[in-house]
This record gives sequence, structure tokens and C-alpha cells, in this order.
Amino acid sequence: MRRSDPHLAARVGLWLGVAFGLCFATGLLSHAAQHPPGWFTWPTRPVSLYRITQGVHVVSGVAAIPLLLAKLHTVYPRLFQRPVVGSVRHALERGSVLVLVGAAFFELVTGLFSAAQNYPWDFFFPPAHYAVAWVAVGALLVHVAVKLPLWRAAPEPRRATLSRRGFLLATGGAVAVAVLATAGASVPWLRRVSVLATRSAALPVNRTAAAAGVRRVGDGWRLRVGAREFSLAELAALPQTSAELPIACVEGWSASARWTGVPVRDLLALAGLPVGDVRVESLERDGLYRASTLPAAHAADPLTLLALRLDGAPLPLDHGYPCRLIAPSRPGVLQTKWVTSLEVR
Amino acid sequence: MTRLVLGAIGVAFGLWGVFLLLPQDLPAIGLWLLAGPVVHDALVAPLVGGIGLLVGRGLPRPWRGPVAAAAVLTGVLGLLAVPLLWRPFAGPANPGLLDRPYWAGLLAAVGLVWATALVVGAVRHVSRPRPGG
Repeated sequence: MRRSDPHLAARVGLWLGVAFGLCFATGLLSHAAQHPPGWFTWPTRPVSLYRITQGVHVVSGVAAIPLLLAKLHTVYPRLFQRPVVGSVRHALERGSVLVLVGAAFFELVTGLFSAAQNYPWDFFFPPAHYAVAWVAVGALLVHVAVKLPLWRAAPEPRRATLSRRGFLLATGGAVAVAVLATAGASVPWLRRVSVLATRSAALPVNRTAAAAGVRRVGDGWRLRVGAREFSLAELAALPQTSAELPIACVEGWSASARWTGVPVRDLLALAGLPVGDVRVESLERDGLYRASTLPAAHAADPLTLLALRLDGAPLPLDHGYPCRLIAPSRPGVLQTKWVTSLEVR
Repeated sequence: MTRLVLGAIGVAFGLWGVFLLLPQDLPAIGLWLLAGPVVHDALVAPLVGGIGLLVGRGLPRPWRGPVAAAAVLTGVLGLLAVPLLWRPFAGPANPGLLDRPYWAGLLAAVGLVWATALVVGAVRHVSRPRPGG
């Protein structure tokens, strides 16, 4: 029977710890960007900030999948240790490992499925994924505390199909292949290589007008800003700003495009409103993301636009015609489409 | 000391996570929390162990490393493809998302992996040390 290999387990464990650490930190950032606590301000620069942090979140999660399997492989015989529980201390240690493995699989599996917009479960994904992340990282810290002395374990002679070096090479290769196969969803030059990437088009649509229940928008449409109203022609007659800004989805894909429209702060000034947190409402009747709150820092940014045009052409209905919010460095679900009103709160 | 502090922070994080879980759908979440270890220990690990044994006992030495590595990569690519190929619970289709030819992509990637393993194995086979050579 093959024995476990503490030396190898510690090496793979370090890589896995780095992947989980990156994933946890970027996950907390994404959570704060979407539900900002009072003391927190998500920066508006660089414009790709959220694109980068959320890309790292999904890529490090994908990298953790082969690392978790490799890590379990290095300790496989210990998973079937008898007696199941020897002492209180032993019970606590094994219990913490069960919590760690359960929570780690939960995070990676639900994250992978959610990135594919595939939800084969009954619970609501975001709060469950967020809560279990704390459990996983907590159990990971306890595990490191318990196992820290083994870091210095000397390598023992190994009896296995792969040598220790071969095992690390295969694990590293699996991480590289997993990342290459998926990262094209956010890294433009990998798009053709990443055969398992979620994004296929240069600029995808995450929620179509049909899915949102938004049909033809007629001439009667008006944008309400405080007490003022603007028709589409009036908006188009205002000074326009063009900017290259990314849509960066919480599910990891991102894509840049050239947006043209009126800066939100100009509209607030025309309506005589001070810059503050701005409530942005959509024509969409219901749905989790039919409205968003634009933080004051974003509202004041000259690149935060109500876009009327995309890559030089009028905004397509699926991208939010007659106008949509596009702000630098924001989660995609908060870039509200089919905007009807701006209200300073 | 370091270990005590690490452990205490870990316990605090874990309790915070449990507190956040309390108002949520605990039976459904609990099922998915247990599913990972059970499926791994009962299905994935024995499968990997069995294939490892077959490769280790059944193949000549120069071929073992490349074939084992290719089997690992095939498994990882296959796992990553599951949410893209098995979609009875997926949301409505969106233009430009999740509409690549995933079967073809998976086959191409796996084919490339095994072609590389064949080349590496053949090179190692030819350049292996021979008795009395």
C-alpha cells in the first residue's frame, strides 16, 4: 500500500494555498464592489481594475481544481485511516480536514458551474458561495496551523508510478492546461486557444432584451434626471464623450468596446443635482439587477457615461438601447441597461 | 505561537462563515458540502488509483510518465468541460456566451495532449538505457 508523502503534500499544498488566497482576496473585493460597506470606496482607475480582479478570481479558481485533486492524491491513504477517530485531538484534526475538503470542493464546483451560467442546485448561489468561502479559508488556516511542523519533513523514498519530480511536473502541467483552456474568456489573445472558454463573441450579451422583457422602445421614451426629462434626440445633441471601457462580468468573462455618450456628471449638472450616490433605474420590470446604485466616486468620474453608441453605431437593443450605463472599473451586472431614470440619493 | 494565532483566526473565519450560512437554505447547501468528499473518496480517488496501478504495472518504464500525465490532463479537461456540456439546469442562451463547439474543443485538446504524450514516450523509448549498451 502506498504511503502518504508529507514532503510532496506540503509543496502542492503551498501552491493550492496561493491559489485559494488569490481567489479569496479577489472574491472579497468583488463582494465589496457589489455590496460596498460605508467605509469602502471601489476605485474608478484603472478602468480595467474589476476586469483584472475578477479575471484573477476565476483563473485562480480554475487553477485550484487540479491542485486540490493533486493535493488529495498525495495524502490519499490517510483519508481511509483506521480507527476513524483515535482521540479528541485526532477527531478535531480529521473533522477540520473534512470541513476543508467539503468547503473547498463546494467553492470550486459551484464557482465553475456558475461561470457557465449552469445552476444544478436549489440554493441561491452568491450568498452561499460567499459564506462557504469564509468556512473554506478558515478551515485552511486551521489546517496550516496543525500541519506547519510537517513543512520541514524530509523527503522519504517514494514508491509510485510517477517520481516526485514527475508528479510536480504533471500537476504544474495540469494547472497550465486548465488555465489555457479557459482563460480566453477574459484574456483577449487566448480566446482562440481556450477551447473551454465561456465567451465566444467579441462583446457578448449577458441578458437579452427578450429575457429582460424589454420590447421596442418608442419615441415617447424619456430619460428622467431628477426633475428634468431628456428625449433621445436631446441626449444626442449634448456634448459626447467616447471611451474604451470593458464590460467585466462577475462570472469572469470580460470584453472591451468603444462607448460614446453623455457623462453622467454632465447630466446631473444640467438637472441642477449635486454629485452623490446615483440610483439608476431600468425599463426592465423585474429581475435582480433592474436597478443599480452608482457610488459618488463613479458618478463624478468623467468616463462614467450614459452610452448612446457602441463602436460608432447606435446602441443595439440587446446592449441597452436607448441608453445604458457604462462606468470604468465596475462589475458588469451593475452597468444597467435600458436606463429610464437617474436619481441622486 | 504562530500556529495558535493562525488557528484562532481560522476558527473565527469559519464561525463567521457558519453565521452567514444560518439564514440560507441549509439542507441544499449541506448536501453539496458533503457531496464533494463523498464523490471524491468513493469515485474519483479509486478510479485514479486504479488507472495509476494499471499504468505502473502494465506499461514499460519509458511510457509510464507520459501516459500518466496525459491521463491526468484528460481528466482535468473532462471535469472542466462538464458544466459546458451537461446543461439541463442552465439559464437561457445568450448571444456570444457559452455557445462555442465544446465537444470539438475538448476532443481537440485531448487529442493534442495524447499526441504530445506519444511523442515524448517514443523519444524516451528510443533513448532508454539498454543493458550492456
